[in-house]
Amino acid sequence: MEDFRSAYETWQKKVKAQIEKRPERRDSFQSTSGFEMERLYVPDRIDSAYIAKQGFPGDFPYTRGIRPTMYRGRLWTMRQYAGFGSAEETNRRFKYLLDEGQTGLSAAFDLPTQIGYDSDDAMAEGEVGKVGVAIDSLEDMEILFDDISLHEVSTSMTINAPAAVLLAMYTAVAEKQGVPPEKIRGTIQNDILKEYAARGTYIYPPAPSMRLITDIFSYCRQEAPKFNTISISGYHIREAGATAVQELAFTLSNAKAYVKAAVESGLPVDEFAPQLAFFFNGHNHFFEEAAKFRAARRMWASMMKDEFHAEDPKSMQLRFHTQVAGSTLTAQQPENNIIRVSLQALAAVLGGTQSLHTNAKDEALSLPTETSARTALRTQQIIAHESGAADTVDPLGGSYYVEALTDKLEEEALRYMDRIEEMGGAVRAVEERYVQREIQRAAYDTQKKQESGQEIVVGVNQFRTEEEPQPDLLKVDETFVAEQKARLKRLRETRDQKAVDSCLETLRETCLSGANVMYPIKEAVKVYATVGEICGVMRDIFGEYNG
Amino acid sequence: MKRIRVLIAKPGLDGHDRGALVIAQALRDAGMEVIYTGLRQSPEKIVRAAVQEDVDVIGLSSLSGAHNTLFPAVMEALKKADASDIPVIGGGVIPQEDIIHLESIGVARIFTPGTPTKAVAAYIQQLAGGSSDSAPPKRIEHIGIAVHSIEETASFYAAAFQLSAAHVEEIPSQKVRAAFIDCGSVYLELIEPTDDSSPVAAFLKKRGPGLHHIAFEVSDLKKRITALKENGFPMIDEAPRSGGRGHSIAFMHPKASGGTLIELMEEGADDGHVRETE
Repeated sequence: MEDFRSAYETWQKKVKAQIEKRPERRDSFQSTSGFEMERLYVPDRIDSAYIAKQGFPGDFPYTRGIRPTMYRGRLWTMRQYAGFGSAEETNRRFKYLLDEGQTGLSAAFDLPTQIGYDSDDAMAEGEVGKVGVAIDSLEDMEILFDDISLHEVSTSMTINAPAAVLLAMYTAVAEKQGVPPEKIRGTIQNDILKEYAARGTYIYPPAPSMRLITDIFSYCRQEAPKFNTISISGYHIREAGATAVQELAFTLSNAKAYVKAAVESGLPVDEFAPQLAFFFNGHNHFFEEAAKFRAARRMWASMMKDEFHAEDPKSMQLRFHTQVAGSTLTAQQPENNIIRVSLQALAAVLGGTQSLHTNAKDEALSLPTETSARTALRTQQIIAHESGAADTVDPLGGSYYVEALTDKLEEEALRYMDRIEEMGGAVRAVEERYVQREIQRAAYDTQKKQESGQEIVVGVNQFRTEEEPQPDLLKVDETFVAEQKARLKRLRETRDQKAVDSCLETLRETCLSGANVMYPIKEAVKVYATVGEICGVMRDIFGEYNG
Repeated sequence: MKRIRVLIAKPGLDGHDRGALVIAQALRDAGMEVIYTGLRQSPEKIVRAAVQEDVDVIGLSSLSGAHNTLFPAVMEALKKADASDIPVIGGGVIPQEDIIHLESIGVARIFTPGTPTKAVAAYIQQLAGGSSDSAPPKRIEHIGIAVHSIEETASFYAAAFQLSAAHVEEIPSQKVRAAFIDCGSVYLELIEPTDDSSPVAAFLKKRGPGLHHIAFEVSDLKKRITALKENGFPMIDEAPRSGGRGHSIAFMHPKASGGTLIELMEEGADDGHVRETE
């Protein structure tokens, strides 16, 4: 009881401080019946387990959220993943989304950019501008963010193996806008382990890849302290077929490997850990998903405190982005996807996400059109402003069901993590393809359940209808590919080639010497060396990973 | 019997391999030998692997939208390697209009999300077996025309074109009378209902007289029906039945073809009795 009193008082102090800094969105939150919504609902009979397992929001172990007032103070960031075709076209889509009330940007790059090939590389054939925007040089990046203030907006970039290059370009564009690196906000995905395990856009083998990541940690700690240096991602692991437990276990095992690598490279834990972010999937089982996010927070907090002896609360607060599950979208009866997305997004909000991407209904068929992208954004705006889910902190806390699920997920995920630890950690587990095999097994299991009808997919294996013709789909203008290649050719003819050669040479030497590669990469992008050229130098020295 | 060998390949830079891996496992469970190429394969590499491994079928997977470039490149590389006899199938996030294009350049079939793996396995079995139940139909054997009165319509063809009905018979299983007019390579079948409960009577009521169906001649109708069903095509007749003139027939559901009723017929296979269903 004493524990509870003092913990409660601490929380109230924090709330007061928080409100002074940032008032809540409204003076009072009321239901339709005029009931005042309390900030937080707590059990009336307290045992010590409450403090240990759930605690107050903004308090260790953060099960109920990382901020004392959560969405009453500030809603999650609405961040729709977007990008296709040319930098011009994506710049237009970015501005459209911002005009429609989106609060952060999320850039999708095409596969050649993600795998370090320029648009004119033979390997890029057919892929330029397809799943995201094509970025070859700083010139494209300047166009991508033209007329968008990098001082105001935060940008998430889905880029992994070449993360250092795109981060360098982003800081260079910011500087040209007069925004110094210490002011930029955003995230690079930079999570290579899940690329080997589930997503496939790796370039280099694990050892040099881990070094690039710790170089970025170290650079950002010095130069860009508001930028998230990594987004440790369960999303793609889940999309590849993993269960909720596997998503938790593999993501946190990967997180452990990154923290270990950084600590081993000499960085003090509290100096880089506050800049680590996470990215989870919002999938189908509503309550298990909400519980999953709560379990993830508790697991991360305990791991950072107990294993890495973090002291800064920020090092223990798991901040995460959620995207709802693309793999649950169906090509059949696409309208149904809007309902799936609503439920998945609501679970993420009830689980306390910091930012959210809601999928568009047509994404099992192609990239979203402007109209379907807008409906997707509206879906989360409705949850935020109409559902009342954001009016009190951790609405599901204390539910027998959700708390039991939270405990169970944690327990099972820890068991998995122990097995990975015994194998020598996440890097080893990926190299031995253990993680890949586990995911594949789960994926095949799901397929069999769906084909046998044990698992119902509405509109696919039950409740089918004769299909109407497919709705209007987005078409990426193919003529831009030739223009992109022409722009690149022009760039190569007009830039200062000597400066480029010299910067690439410095980069080569730095790769060999073991010093931080971020600095020479930054110099190289500023003289318009291309993504392909910079990654090419590193390919030469580091070699390539063969999946 | 020799095991069917399949190459599952990921052309281009796409890293989404959940579908490819699930298909590979399902085909293995269906008794096939499966070689999976791994990610980032060039069309030339894929063809080389297919030839070296002596596969019966190549399955391509792409979810990045690059299929319109990469699948044709594989077809081209097969031609160059003199290996166009290896059939190619594909899967992924591929819109309908692209499917039409890809199938027109020789891709045997594109499977889209939601396809049961059993349907894919059944289709590969057909492709690899080269069996009669997947070969294109031999010809259009006849065109069915629903009429109120055979005599009235027959007199039109006789007056206008000097075509005469070679054969008239009653087909009790369908509650119709049918007259067959020989037009050289194709018959016109005039169908008149003998009873209000005949499907043709319903057709006449709903749409009026006119074109009713086309009939493809095939061999081994029974197997053909099984294969179509396994591939998810809806059949009206799930077993062959008597279609007149001693032939056995089966109708497909018109929703599969976009509104055209298709009859499959096998010459001389009917022994006069409706066959028992399996």
